[in-house]
Amino acid sequence: MQSRRHTPDSEDHGIDLAPMLDFVLNLLIFFIITTSFVKEAGVTVTRPEALRVEHRDSGNILIAIRENGEIWMDRRPVDLREIRSLIERLHVERPEDSAVIIADKASRAGVVASVMDEIRLGGIKDVSLAAARAGDG
Amino acid sequence: MRLRRRFHTEESHGIDLAPMLDFVLNLLIFFIITAVFVKEFALVVNRPAGIVTTAGAGTGSIPISILGDGEIWIEGRVVDVRAVRPNIERLHAVNPKNGVLIVAAPDAQTGLLVQVVDQVHLGGIYNITFSTSD
Repeated sequence: MQSRRHTPDSEDHGIDLAPMLDFVLNLLIFFIITTSFVKEAGVTVTRPEALRVEHRDSGNILIAIRENGEIWMDRRPVDLREIRSLIERLHVERPEDSAVIIADKASRAGVVASVMDEIRLGGIKDVSLAAARAGDG
Repeated sequence: MRLRRRFHTEESHGIDLAPMLDFVLNLLIFFIITAVFVKEFALVVNRPAGIVTTAGAGTGSIPISILGDGEIWIEGRVVDVRAVRPNIERLHAVNPKNGVLIVAAPDAQTGLLVQVVDQVHLGGIYNITFSTSD
Protein backbone atom coordinates (compact mmCIF):
# COMPACT_ATOMS: atom_id res chain seq x y z
CA MET A 1 0.00 0.00 0.00
CA GLN A 2 2.72 2.33 0.91
CA SER A 3 4.70 1.65 -2.23
CA ARG A 4 1.66 2.28 -4.44
CA ARG A 5 1.04 5.65 -2.91
CA HIS A 6 4.69 6.36 -3.19
CA THR A 7 4.68 5.92 -6.99
CA PRO A 8 2.44 8.73 -8.34
CA ASP A 9 3.71 11.38 -5.95
CA SER A 10 7.39 11.34 -6.39
CA GLU A 11 8.44 9.05 -9.23
CA ASP A 12 5.81 9.75 -11.94
CA HIS A 13 7.40 11.96 -14.55
CA GLY A 14 4.87 11.57 -17.43
CA ILE A 15 1.16 12.32 -17.83
CA ASP A 16 -1.31 10.06 -16.03
CA LEU A 17 -2.87 8.01 -18.83
CA ALA A 18 -5.61 6.31 -16.82
CA PRO A 19 -8.49 8.83 -17.31
CA MET A 20 -7.79 9.03 -21.03
CA LEU A 21 -7.76 5.25 -21.20
CA ASP A 22 -11.14 5.12 -19.44
CA PHE A 23 -12.59 7.60 -21.88
CA VAL A 24 -11.22 5.82 -24.92
CA LEU A 25 -12.51 2.47 -23.68
CA ASN A 26 -15.97 3.95 -23.22
CA LEU A 27 -15.89 5.31 -26.77
CA LEU A 28 -14.74 1.93 -28.02
CA ILE A 29 -17.57 0.11 -26.27
CA PHE A 30 -20.06 2.62 -27.65
CA PHE A 31 -18.91 2.06 -31.21
CA ILE A 32 -18.81 -1.72 -30.85
CA ILE A 33 -22.40 -1.71 -29.62
CA THR A 34 -23.75 0.65 -32.26
CA THR A 35 -22.09 -0.97 -35.27
CA SER A 36 -23.56 -4.44 -35.03
CA PHE A 37 -27.15 -3.25 -35.27
CA VAL A 38 -27.47 -2.28 -38.90
CA LYS A 39 -27.98 -4.91 -41.56
CA GLU A 40 -26.98 -3.17 -44.74
CA ALA A 41 -28.30 -4.21 -48.10
CA GLY A 42 -24.95 -3.79 -49.82
CA VAL A 43 -26.05 -2.47 -53.18
CA THR A 44 -26.80 1.01 -54.44
CA VAL A 45 -30.19 1.75 -55.90
CA THR A 46 -31.85 4.89 -57.19
CA ARG A 47 -34.44 5.72 -54.58
CA PRO A 48 -37.76 7.15 -55.62
CA GLU A 49 -38.36 10.69 -54.45
CA ALA A 50 -41.08 11.81 -52.09
CA LEU A 51 -41.95 15.12 -50.45
CA ARG A 52 -43.22 13.86 -47.12
CA VAL A 53 -40.96 11.18 -45.69
CA GLU A 54 -40.38 9.87 -42.20
CA HIS A 55 -36.96 9.49 -40.68
CA ARG A 56 -36.21 5.87 -39.80
CA ASP A 57 -33.41 5.49 -37.31
CA SER A 58 -30.88 2.76 -36.70
CA GLY A 59 -31.75 -0.82 -35.93
CA ASN A 60 -33.27 -1.40 -39.30
CA ILE A 61 -33.00 -4.37 -41.58
CA LEU A 62 -32.43 -3.05 -45.06
CA ILE A 63 -33.54 -4.99 -48.12
CA ALA A 64 -32.75 -3.60 -51.54
CA ILE A 65 -34.55 -4.39 -54.78
CA ARG A 66 -32.69 -3.54 -57.97
CA GLU A 67 -34.32 -2.49 -61.20
CA ASN A 68 -33.85 -5.98 -62.65
CA GLY A 69 -35.68 -7.58 -59.73
CA GLU A 70 -32.61 -8.80 -57.82
CA ILE A 71 -33.08 -8.73 -54.07
CA TRP A 72 -30.12 -7.82 -51.87
CA MET A 73 -29.91 -8.37 -48.16
CA ASP A 74 -26.96 -8.32 -45.79
CA ARG A 75 -24.50 -7.55 -48.62
CA ARG A 76 -25.45 -10.47 -50.86
CA PRO A 77 -28.16 -11.26 -53.40
CA VAL A 78 -30.90 -13.49 -52.00
CA ASP A 79 -33.77 -15.45 -53.42
CA LEU A 80 -37.32 -14.39 -52.66
CA ARG A 81 -37.93 -17.66 -50.79
CA GLU A 82 -34.85 -17.13 -48.60
CA ILE A 83 -36.13 -13.85 -47.17
CA ARG A 84 -38.67 -15.38 -44.84
CA SER A 85 -36.18 -17.60 -43.00
CA LEU A 86 -33.58 -14.81 -42.86
CA ILE A 87 -36.13 -12.41 -41.41
CA GLU A 88 -37.31 -15.02 -38.91
CA ARG A 89 -33.75 -15.44 -37.64
CA LEU A 90 -33.16 -11.67 -37.38
CA HIS A 91 -36.53 -11.20 -35.71
CA VAL A 92 -35.63 -13.73 -33.02
CA GLU A 93 -32.29 -12.00 -32.39
CA ARG A 94 -33.74 -8.50 -32.16
CA PRO A 95 -37.54 -8.48 -31.98
CA GLU A 96 -37.88 -4.69 -32.00
CA ASP A 97 -36.23 -4.30 -35.40
CA SER A 98 -38.10 -2.81 -38.30
CA ALA A 99 -37.52 -3.47 -41.97
CA VAL A 100 -37.00 -0.95 -44.75
CA ILE A 101 -37.38 -1.96 -48.38
CA ILE A 102 -35.13 0.10 -50.63
CA ALA A 103 -36.68 -0.42 -54.02
CA ASP A 104 -35.23 1.04 -57.17
CA LYS A 105 -37.30 3.65 -58.97
CA ALA A 106 -37.62 1.35 -61.97
CA SER A 107 -38.29 -1.89 -60.07
CA ARG A 108 -41.66 -3.59 -60.32
CA ALA A 109 -44.42 -3.16 -57.76
CA GLY A 110 -45.11 -6.90 -57.85
CA VAL A 111 -41.64 -7.70 -56.49
CA VAL A 112 -42.03 -5.07 -53.77
CA ALA A 113 -45.37 -6.57 -52.77
CA SER A 114 -44.06 -10.12 -52.55
CA VAL A 115 -40.96 -9.04 -50.58
CA MET A 116 -43.24 -7.14 -48.21
CA ASP A 117 -45.36 -10.27 -47.76
CA GLU A 118 -42.31 -12.43 -47.03
CA ILE A 119 -41.10 -9.96 -44.38
CA ARG A 120 -44.51 -9.98 -42.73
CA LEU A 121 -44.57 -13.78 -42.80
CA GLY A 122 -41.13 -13.72 -41.18
CA GLY A 123 -42.65 -11.90 -38.22
CA ILE A 124 -41.74 -8.25 -38.74
CA LYS A 125 -44.86 -6.12 -39.03
CA ASP A 126 -43.15 -2.74 -39.27
CA VAL A 127 -42.25 -2.54 -42.95
CA SER A 128 -41.69 0.69 -44.81
CA LEU A 129 -40.66 1.76 -48.27
CA ALA A 130 -37.54 3.88 -48.60
CA ALA A 131 -37.63 7.14 -50.49
CA ALA A 132 -35.27 10.04 -50.97
CA ARG A 133 -36.37 13.44 -49.82
CA ALA A 134 -37.35 15.33 -52.94
CA GLY A 135 -35.18 18.34 -53.60
CA ASP A 136 -32.23 17.12 -51.56
CA GLY A 137 -30.43 16.07 -54.73
CA MET B 1 17.98 9.82 -23.76
CA ARG B 2 19.71 8.58 -20.69
CA LEU B 3 16.93 9.91 -18.50
CA ARG B 4 14.21 8.04 -20.41
CA ARG B 5 16.08 4.76 -20.31
CA ARG B 6 16.65 5.17 -16.65
CA PHE B 7 12.90 5.74 -16.13
CA HIS B 8 11.97 2.51 -17.85
CA THR B 9 14.54 0.27 -16.26
CA GLU B 10 14.76 1.48 -12.71
CA GLU B 11 11.85 3.63 -11.58
CA SER B 12 8.73 2.10 -13.25
CA HIS B 13 6.83 0.08 -10.67
CA GLY B 14 3.37 -0.25 -12.33
CA ILE B 15 2.30 -1.75 -15.64
CA ASP B 16 3.22 0.25 -18.69
CA LEU B 17 -0.10 1.39 -20.15
CA ALA B 18 1.24 2.82 -23.40
CA PRO B 19 1.10 -0.35 -25.59
CA MET B 20 -2.41 -1.13 -24.36
CA LEU B 21 -3.46 2.41 -25.12
CA ASP B 22 -2.04 2.11 -28.63
CA PHE B 23 -3.96 -1.07 -29.19
CA VAL B 24 -7.22 0.32 -27.84
CA LEU B 25 -6.88 3.46 -29.93
CA ASN B 26 -6.38 1.32 -33.04
CA LEU B 27 -9.51 -0.67 -32.19
CA LEU B 28 -11.40 2.57 -31.66
CA ILE B 29 -10.33 3.98 -35.02
CA PHE B 30 -11.27 0.72 -36.71
CA PHE B 31 -14.77 0.77 -35.24
CA ILE B 32 -15.30 4.45 -36.00
CA ILE B 33 -14.37 3.86 -39.62
CA THR B 34 -16.52 0.77 -40.03
CA ALA B 35 -19.52 2.28 -38.21
CA VAL B 36 -22.40 2.84 -40.57
CA PHE B 37 -24.76 5.55 -39.55
CA VAL B 38 -27.77 4.75 -41.64
CA LYS B 39 -30.26 7.53 -42.01
CA GLU B 40 -33.01 6.08 -44.04
CA PHE B 41 -36.01 8.07 -45.15
CA ALA B 42 -39.05 5.95 -45.72
CA LEU B 43 -42.79 5.83 -46.26
CA VAL B 44 -45.03 3.57 -44.22
CA VAL B 45 -47.54 1.51 -46.15
CA ASN B 46 -49.68 -1.36 -44.93
CA ARG B 47 -50.19 -4.69 -46.58
CA PRO B 48 -53.58 -6.38 -46.38
CA ALA B 49 -53.45 -9.18 -43.84
CA GLY B 50 -55.55 -11.57 -45.90
CA ILE B 51 -56.31 -11.78 -49.56
CA VAL B 52 -58.21 -8.67 -50.58
CA THR B 53 -59.97 -8.54 -53.90
CA THR B 54 -60.39 -5.21 -55.63
CA ALA B 55 -64.19 -5.47 -55.55
CA GLY B 56 -64.39 -6.42 -51.87
CA ALA B 57 -62.31 -3.50 -50.65
CA GLY B 58 -64.89 -0.89 -51.54
CA THR B 59 -66.16 -0.15 -48.06
CA GLY B 60 -64.13 2.22 -45.96
CA SER B 61 -61.32 2.86 -48.39
CA ILE B 62 -60.68 4.84 -51.54
CA PRO B 63 -59.30 2.59 -54.27
CA ILE B 64 -56.54 3.88 -56.52
CA SER B 65 -55.39 1.67 -59.38
CA ILE B 66 -51.96 1.91 -60.95
CA LEU B 67 -51.68 0.09 -64.25
CA GLY B 68 -48.55 -1.40 -65.74
CA ASP B 69 -48.23 1.36 -68.32
CA GLY B 70 -48.31 4.10 -65.67
CA GLU B 71 -51.98 5.07 -65.81
CA ILE B 72 -53.56 6.02 -62.48
CA TRP B 73 -57.25 5.44 -61.98
CA ILE B 74 -59.35 7.05 -59.23
CA GLU B 75 -63.13 6.60 -59.21
CA GLY B 76 -63.25 5.31 -62.76
CA ARG B 77 -61.21 8.15 -64.24
CA VAL B 78 -57.63 8.35 -65.45
CA VAL B 79 -55.79 11.01 -63.48
CA ASP B 80 -52.31 12.49 -63.64
CA VAL B 81 -49.88 11.95 -60.74
CA ARG B 82 -50.18 15.63 -59.84
CA ALA B 83 -53.98 15.35 -59.81
CA VAL B 84 -53.94 12.61 -57.17
CA ARG B 85 -53.52 15.10 -54.33
CA PRO B 86 -56.59 17.30 -55.08
CA ASN B 87 -58.68 14.20 -55.71
CA ILE B 88 -57.64 12.71 -52.39
CA GLU B 89 -58.19 16.02 -50.60
CA ARG B 90 -61.73 16.14 -51.94
CA LEU B 91 -62.48 12.50 -51.04
CA HIS B 92 -60.87 12.98 -47.63
CA ALA B 93 -63.13 15.98 -46.99
CA VAL B 94 -66.20 13.94 -47.98
CA ASN B 95 -65.36 11.08 -45.64
CA PRO B 96 -62.40 11.70 -43.31
CA LYS B 97 -62.42 8.16 -41.91
CA ASN B 98 -61.59 6.51 -45.21
CA GLY B 99 -58.20 5.03 -45.89
CA VAL B 100 -56.68 4.48 -49.29
CA LEU B 101 -56.23 1.17 -51.04
CA ILE B 102 -53.60 1.27 -53.76
CA VAL B 103 -53.96 -1.57 -56.21
CA ALA B 104 -50.90 -1.71 -58.40
CA ALA B 105 -50.28 -3.93 -61.38
CA PRO B 106 -47.32 -6.27 -60.69
CA ASP B 107 -45.27 -4.62 -63.42
CA ALA B 108 -46.04 -1.05 -62.38
CA GLN B 109 -42.96 0.97 -61.51
CA THR B 110 -42.08 1.46 -57.86
CA GLY B 111 -41.14 5.07 -58.53
CA LEU B 112 -44.69 5.82 -59.60
CA LEU B 113 -46.08 3.89 -56.65
CA VAL B 114 -44.02 5.96 -54.21
CA GLN B 115 -45.12 9.15 -55.97
CA VAL B 116 -48.76 8.16 -55.56
CA VAL B 117 -48.22 7.26 -51.88
CA ASP B 118 -46.53 10.62 -51.38
CA GLN B 119 -49.39 12.47 -53.06
CA VAL B 120 -51.93 10.64 -50.88
CA HIS B 121 -49.91 11.62 -47.80
CA LEU B 122 -49.92 15.23 -48.97
CA GLY B 123 -53.66 14.94 -49.51
CA GLY B 124 -54.02 14.17 -45.82
CA ILE B 125 -54.53 10.39 -45.66
CA TYR B 126 -51.92 8.28 -43.91
CA ASN B 127 -53.78 4.99 -43.74
CA ILE B 128 -52.58 3.44 -46.97
CA THR B 129 -52.87 -0.19 -47.89
CA PHE B 130 -50.89 -1.50 -50.81
CA SER B 131 -51.92 -4.53 -52.80
CA THR B 132 -51.27 -5.93 -56.24
CA SER B 133 -53.89 -6.72 -58.82
CA ASP B 134 -53.06 -10.36 -59.58
